[in-house]
Amino acid sequence: MRVKSPDFWSGLALAALGGYIVYTARGWEYLGQDGPGPGFFPLWYGIVMLVLSAILVLTGKSEASWKGAGRAFAAWAAFAVSVALIKLLGFLIAFAALTFFIVTVMYRRPPVTAALVAAGVAAGFYVVFPLALGVALP
Amino acid sequence: MAPKIAFLIGLTLAGTAFAQGFKPTRPIEVVVHTGPGGGSDLLARSVVAIIEKEKLLPVRMQVVNKPGGGGTVAASYLAEKAGEPHTIGFFTGVWLTGPLTSAEAKVTLRDLTPIARLVLEPALIAVKADAPFKSLSDFTSAAKEKPGQLKQSGGSVTSRDNVVRQLLQRASGGRWVFISFPGGGERIAALLGGHVNMMVIEPAEAGEHIRAGNMRVLAQVSDRRLAAFPNVPTLKEAGFDVPAVPQVRGVVAPPGIPAANVAYWEDVFRKLTRTASWKKYLEDNQFEDGYQNAAELAKFYDDFTGTMRGILQEAGVKIVR
Amino acid sequence: MDVLAGLMHGFALALQPANLLWCFVGCALGTIVGIMPGLGPPATIAMLLPLTFLMNPASAMIMLAGIYYGAKYGGSTTSILLNVPGESASIVTCLDGYQMAKKGRAGAALGIAAIASFVAGTVGVLGLMFIAPPLARFALAFSSPEYFALMSLGLAMVVLLAGHSIVKALLAMLVGLWISSIGTDLFSSTSRFTFGRMELLSGIDFVVVAIGVFALGEVLGNLEAIEKSQLLPVPKGLRNLLPTVQDLKDSRFAFANGSIVGFLVGVLPGGGSTIASFISYGIEKAVSKRPEQFGHGVVEGVAAPEGANNSETGGALVPLLTLGIPGSGTTAILLAALVLWGFKPGPLFISENPSLFWSLVASMYIGNLMLLVLNLPLVPLFAQVLRTPAYVLYPVIFGVSMVGVYSVSGSVFDIGLLAGFGLLGYGMRKLDFPSAPLILGLVLGGALERALRQSLMMSEGSLSILVARPISAVMLSLAVLVLLMPVFSRINAWRQKLLS
Repeated sequence: MRVKSPDFWSGLALAALGGYIVYTARGWEYLGQDGPGPGFFPLWYGIVMLVLSAILVLTGKSEASWKGAGRAFAAWAAFAVSVALIKLLGFLIAFAALTFFIVTVMYRRPPVTAALVAAGVAAGFYVVFPLALGVALP
Repeated sequence: MAPKIAFLIGLTLAGTAFAQGFKPTRPIEVVVHTGPGGGSDLLARSVVAIIEKEKLLPVRMQVVNKPGGGGTVAASYLAEKAGEPHTIGFFTGVWLTGPLTSAEAKVTLRDLTPIARLVLEPALIAVKADAPFKSLSDFTSAAKEKPGQLKQSGGSVTSRDNVVRQLLQRASGGRWVFISFPGGGERIAALLGGHVNMMVIEPAEAGEHIRAGNMRVLAQVSDRRLAAFPNVPTLKEAGFDVPAVPQVRGVVAPPGIPAANVAYWEDVFRKLTRTASWKKYLEDNQFEDGYQNAAELAKFYDDFTGTMRGILQEAGVKIVR
Repeated sequence: MDVLAGLMHGFALALQPANLLWCFVGCALGTIVGIMPGLGPPATIAMLLPLTFLMNPASAMIMLAGIYYGAKYGGSTTSILLNVPGESASIVTCLDGYQMAKKGRAGAALGIAAIASFVAGTVGVLGLMFIAPPLARFALAFSSPEYFALMSLGLAMVVLLAGHSIVKALLAMLVGLWISSIGTDLFSSTSRFTFGRMELLSGIDFVVVAIGVFALGEVLGNLEAIEKSQLLPVPKGLRNLLPTVQDLKDSRFAFANGSIVGFLVGVLPGGGSTIASFISYGIEKAVSKRPEQFGHGVVEGVAAPEGANNSETGGALVPLLTLGIPGSGTTAILLAALVLWGFKPGPLFISENPSLFWSLVASMYIGNLMLLVLNLPLVPLFAQVLRTPAYVLYPVIFGVSMVGVYSVSGSVFDIGLLAGFGLLGYGMRKLDFPSAPLILGLVLGGALERALRQSLMMSEGSLSILVARPISAVMLSLAVLVLLMPVFSRINAWRQKLLS
């Protein structure tokens, strides 16, 4: 069976989004007393989205190389986790943890280097932002 | 039995004695729902400046911006700080109307602790200087003859601008279109450019345009004539028996704070409104002194939201609460 | 007071040592603020307002204005070096600026940005000086139908940003339009696409999307491979550290284009530097002899938008000072500042406060010059940033993004959104969807919808209002022409093939 191109899947996803938009937009007023209502615009761009994504599904053919995607996802997951940790541990610690992760796992530097970098960068942020510029850290 | 009662009495006395002595010991967080430079932010900063100048508080105050969601983010933030005596917030009309129309705006003013109402912002009904309307009734009669042809620029459909329009439409039988613009600058530009016929505008915004001869004021939305506009009739004087819908600003505190706290804050703000600096501030900004204490504010809230509900429903806005 | 006399008087005031100092402070602060993604002039100016009460109003105005246009200079720095837009207006600079950096020409990009900003900023001040009052009247003739046409023209530029797949570009733009609808509808107070979350009631700030999709998407893409221990080639040799004479020649038209478009769009209340930079970029690409290279690092692709966002400052001051109407977020704060200092901005402001106006104008010339002098030598310094090893730089980028987003809204929820958009940006890179159209749709979508609905309300439901008025008719025709350009070029190519 021929492997479906990535465009096929992105087209489908966008078609799903388009469908969702059209469906929700139907629940709002299309044409109000004085002018178009909140449903007007979303309905139209939802429909165009459906049409275009259908075209994409049918004619798309680009290739995608997924090599290395695992690393990128891991990095992203680490970022997401550190964001979630901000409320628990505070920005500086969560950020230092993220830095540590990136240096050790992503770049395979020794843990000591990682720890130094993490501490240094976090300290740097503390100095630059709240102290020097008066910008609040999350 | 007796020891228990004695114990309870003792506890209460201790409690009151403790609360009676409430004095803030840490810097006060003042929550506003706009970003820096927005209306609430500027008001809060001015109030803080006056309080510090008149030494009404033993500690500093720090303005904290929690913008978003038309006030809901700030309101929720305050709700989360239940019981915290060192936080207060400034509210405006959107805090009152938001919960009526938006399901996500879960925190109402009643969920928080009302402290005081401070300011009423009057408004003016203005048209372009070369418009054929010399009085408000000219405008409404024209709107009655040609329904849906005249236009008004204003804020969102729940804003005071539209509420005034609804009331005037009801009272006069005229009908005209309301066009929302997100910023005051755009609304004024629409009026001056001749793209709309009328707008409800704040005195401070209108002053210079009137002086330059570009705008004419037909009526004022307030109970008494403003000092700066002695020749402009109020709505009632112009022949329209509608309430002068105020735009309000005031102070709230998180829920669950002891009565002594509330009394303390009430006292601070009552003193504030008596100072000369405050009176000057009101005059400079052409605000009305709308001081009400906590209990009066609570009642105002109930009355106001009740009336709003009716008006907004008539305007075709979906009410969710 | 006639123009020349006023200007002389203004220079006399602006060149006083104290005012020169304040000008410098403003410019320096503005540059720093511009470099920081998220933190912008409005917040900075608001924070400094209490300080300004201790100064005399002219000096304060000079400083605040310095922050305003200084930020535009700074915004290009992170856009070029890190693909992180420091200011909303700098997004377009990311497109070609970052590509130039990737090719080792970061210095040239930074330099041309500074020069273009200087030229355009000066033109903007000249415009403010000479044609402010008549222009203000022109601006008043602009209303919703014209805005709709302008936004349509901006969106039509998508076609020029498309790369090779127009379908994907349009889809990205539509997603941007959708994101712009998230929030409370102004006209009806209905909540749209908020999924019951209160934080979404006022929509998603476009800084969150821009940083997530551009910067984080890029970083995630780079994290795929471990070999790149250095982020970008460090520019070597003077040829790459500063713009060459050839670069300057290539950018001739861009300088003019950026200056004029930026100024005119800035004059419109509600027109902003973001749309100015998009339109200017689009025009540049449309008239270029090498359009297919746009998006891959052409110097005029940096010069045009950077110029536009700088002359926009001059333009935005026109409605503020001649009518008392703020044209953008920053001018709204400046308006508040003027009111707080006891002035009454309005049609009579300039004639009643000539010293303030002219010293401001003079200081803007000086400020632009200062910024050029400040920024050019710093270019090699900034370029050295690229020496930082990737494993330090990437975490820093993550961190700066988080702090920047938080500084805009103070909400950790937005940082979570940032993570989501980062993933989207990465996905778009992998699936070959261009990201600029998404941002374009997001920035213009809200304004487009509002303008359309306002126009229909003005015309009582009739679409003819959009073509009956001359200005909007012209712009809409331009938009249609732009949309048809790919068709024309296909026809052309086909004709060439037939003839050969």
